[in-house]
Amino acid sequence: MIDRSLSVLKVALGSFKGRVAAAWLLVVIVAAVFAPLLTPYAYDLQTLSQAFQPPSASHWLGTDEFGRDLMTRLMYGARTSLSVSVVAIGLSVSLGLVFGAIAGYFGGRVDRAITVVVDLTWSFPEILLALILVAIIGPGVTGTLLAIGVAYLAQFTRLARGQIMSLRSETFVEAARSLGASDSFILAHHLIPNTLAPVLVTAMLATGDAIILEATLGFFGLGAQPPTPSWGGMMSSGTAQLFRAPGIILFPGLAVALTVIAINIFGDALVAAMDVRSRERKA
Amino acid sequence: MFKGCKSALMASAIGVSFLMTLPSAMAKEAIFALPAPEVGVPAYNPITGVNTNSANGLIYDKLIERAVDQTYHGHLAESWEEAPDGMSWTFHLRKGVKFHNGDAFNAQTIKDWIPLYKGTESEYMVASIASVEVVDDYTVKFVMKTPDPNLLYNFSSSFLSVVDPKVFKELGADYGVTEAVGTGPYKLESFTVGQETVLTRNDDYTWGTDLSANRGPAKIDKLTFREIPEDSTAFLELKTGGVDMLLSVSTDYLPEIKAQADLGLISRPGTDLSYFVMNVTKEPFTDIRVREAAAKAINQAEILSSIYGGVGSTADTFLISSLPESKVKPEYKIAYDPEKAGKLLDEAGWVKGADGIRVKDGKPLAIALWTQSDSAFRRLTEVVQAELKAVGFDATITTFDSSMIRDEYKKDVHQAAVRSYEWDNADIIDWFFGGDRLGYPNISMFNDPKAEALRAKAMTGSKNSEERTANFLAYHEYVLSQFPFSPIYQPLDLSAYNKTKLVLPDEKAVPYFSSLILDLDTKE
Repeated sequence: MIDRSLSVLKVALGSFKGRVAAAWLLVVIVAAVFAPLLTPYAYDLQTLSQAFQPPSASHWLGTDEFGRDLMTRLMYGARTSLSVSVVAIGLSVSLGLVFGAIAGYFGGRVDRAITVVVDLTWSFPEILLALILVAIIGPGVTGTLLAIGVAYLAQFTRLARGQIMSLRSETFVEAARSLGASDSFILAHHLIPNTLAPVLVTAMLATGDAIILEATLGFFGLGAQPPTPSWGGMMSSGTAQLFRAPGIILFPGLAVALTVIAINIFGDALVAAMDVRSRERKA
Repeated sequence: MFKGCKSALMASAIGVSFLMTLPSAMAKEAIFALPAPEVGVPAYNPITGVNTNSANGLIYDKLIERAVDQTYHGHLAESWEEAPDGMSWTFHLRKGVKFHNGDAFNAQTIKDWIPLYKGTESEYMVASIASVEVVDDYTVKFVMKTPDPNLLYNFSSSFLSVVDPKVFKELGADYGVTEAVGTGPYKLESFTVGQETVLTRNDDYTWGTDLSANRGPAKIDKLTFREIPEDSTAFLELKTGGVDMLLSVSTDYLPEIKAQADLGLISRPGTDLSYFVMNVTKEPFTDIRVREAAAKAINQAEILSSIYGGVGSTADTFLISSLPESKVKPEYKIAYDPEKAGKLLDEAGWVKGADGIRVKDGKPLAIALWTQSDSAFRRLTEVVQAELKAVGFDATITTFDSSMIRDEYKKDVHQAAVRSYEWDNADIIDWFFGGDRLGYPNISMFNDPKAEALRAKAMTGSKNSEERTANFLAYHEYVLSQFPFSPIYQPLDLSAYNKTKLVLPDEKAVPYFSSLILDLDTKE
């Protein structure tokens, strides 16, 4: 499994686009994880007399309307945006695999019940569903995380269900069953591991969408609450300063755009790498 | 032959369509953006409503108009006299005034209109009136329970806009939603809550006040009021021609407005005041020392210079500084004093921890700080949050949509909030700190027996203006001494407009919007 993953990763990094995208993602992840070590400023320290400073040696991207270092807030914002998106999609994937596996393996009423609920949530656009959920749960990091997690649950439940349904009548499953393996053993050891690859690639692409959704909720003031920075929240407060200090809205906007593009390019490279591998095997 | 017919038909069609579009092309129209605090008004019902917006003042007239310099000008009432003992007022009404539906306005209208306030939030405005007597068709006498030196102000309030009592009774709860009938220069054509209101000109209107050169009808045929809660969006709409005038504009955009030749700025003395308010029934604000500490943690001068570019002024009481009731003794004024704040918190047992947040009995000095979701509120609240943190409070901001937050206050789960109000009378203290309005509008939940006694004296126990001012000063000073809030900022009343679209009579002496509208014109 690890060897397979490494070989797919190697193929994905073989293209120039894949390498550039991976490099940007690495920069963002390093900035997010090591932000306290990389910047001398606190993300929430207001120095109102230093508001709207242009880019300089001491403030590489300038300061915001509260005199806070923009670069620092961008790095800490990456923490919020990435962690909320990754954890939310992780939640969707985990629950989606469980519900999808149960629905796809057992079929019948259980399948119909899960499918009805999933189809119902899928009939709403993700942003609308997330807005409704945040309104119920309450604004903040937890609310945003749960809202995004639930918004993408349907996608992974359906994907896992479809994969399980196509695998459940395979010979290796029949063999396991004839050897006396329980349903839970077959699901945990044979079916779910075989659905992981497509689910994880989809999860990567969905993480890009989740970053946009998190930024959107942040822009509406429903995401991480001040002074915790998030890219969406930074853009929202920057709208009032659009003419005076366009960098406040521009830099987090660019960060969102570049990160989502990088995730999509790298995700596509992974998909292509997996296709190549399957073609090679067939050949 | 066929070709000729085709050409003739096409020419006729073009001609007809040109003629059809001609009247609408010639009609004068203007689009306004309502100020953020006026967004979400659920009905054009000044009687039962607790919020009104600028369009309300165009649908309805009042008995009296108040000018920017706070002088009173007759409107539906041409003149008035107060009895020497203050126990009655006689109002002489304007003749020839008609409601939008053709009903006549006269003394009987006033007699039927005043009782409609019974049981409403605005009942206090007419509570001093014992009865209304019709002297003749155009003379009405108010017999008073007690002298009311605030009666003229009340009659100039938007909440005492004169509605057609007959239609009000007929429509009941639908009044102001499906139909609104006043005597104003514009009629309500359509209204979608939270989105827009469309008004059309009242062509019969000829009873404007002396505050406008044109007494009516208005010069513009159709007005659209758009509800845009976000300042930046509203300003972009002004820049791109989506609206012709912002009835309120943030100081953030002043440099841009001054730099743009096609944008004009209107500046009037402001009637707004922003403040930080604490729920005195919720920990830790049950302790007056904690309230005083929080009140003195707010740096008004820094907020004025850094957030508002020095435009406007700092606030040190609950009232705008143009009111005589704001002139409290210096010891009652609330001002930034972080050292005193620190000492008070020490006295109250809140000890500063290593992270700067104070702790008592193992519990951090943590509070939830509520605010509205529009950027102007969020920005001010972030500064308040940082200033509270500087003295040891850990304030977590929670934002609510402007239209939802009032209902949230009524649940009494809030601890503190950053808010603002727009009012130019001392009775706003009664409105926001009265013990019978807990939750909303009394967000502080302040309900103190001594305050209630002072409040009753201020509201109903004054024989004349001087006495009323003295009574309100005493009430105001007592409320200030209990620190349920901290005043922050008094903005100017700024509007911005598109010079290529609108023509103002005189930019330097612009009256309030309800008077300005009669002289406002569009460029041909």
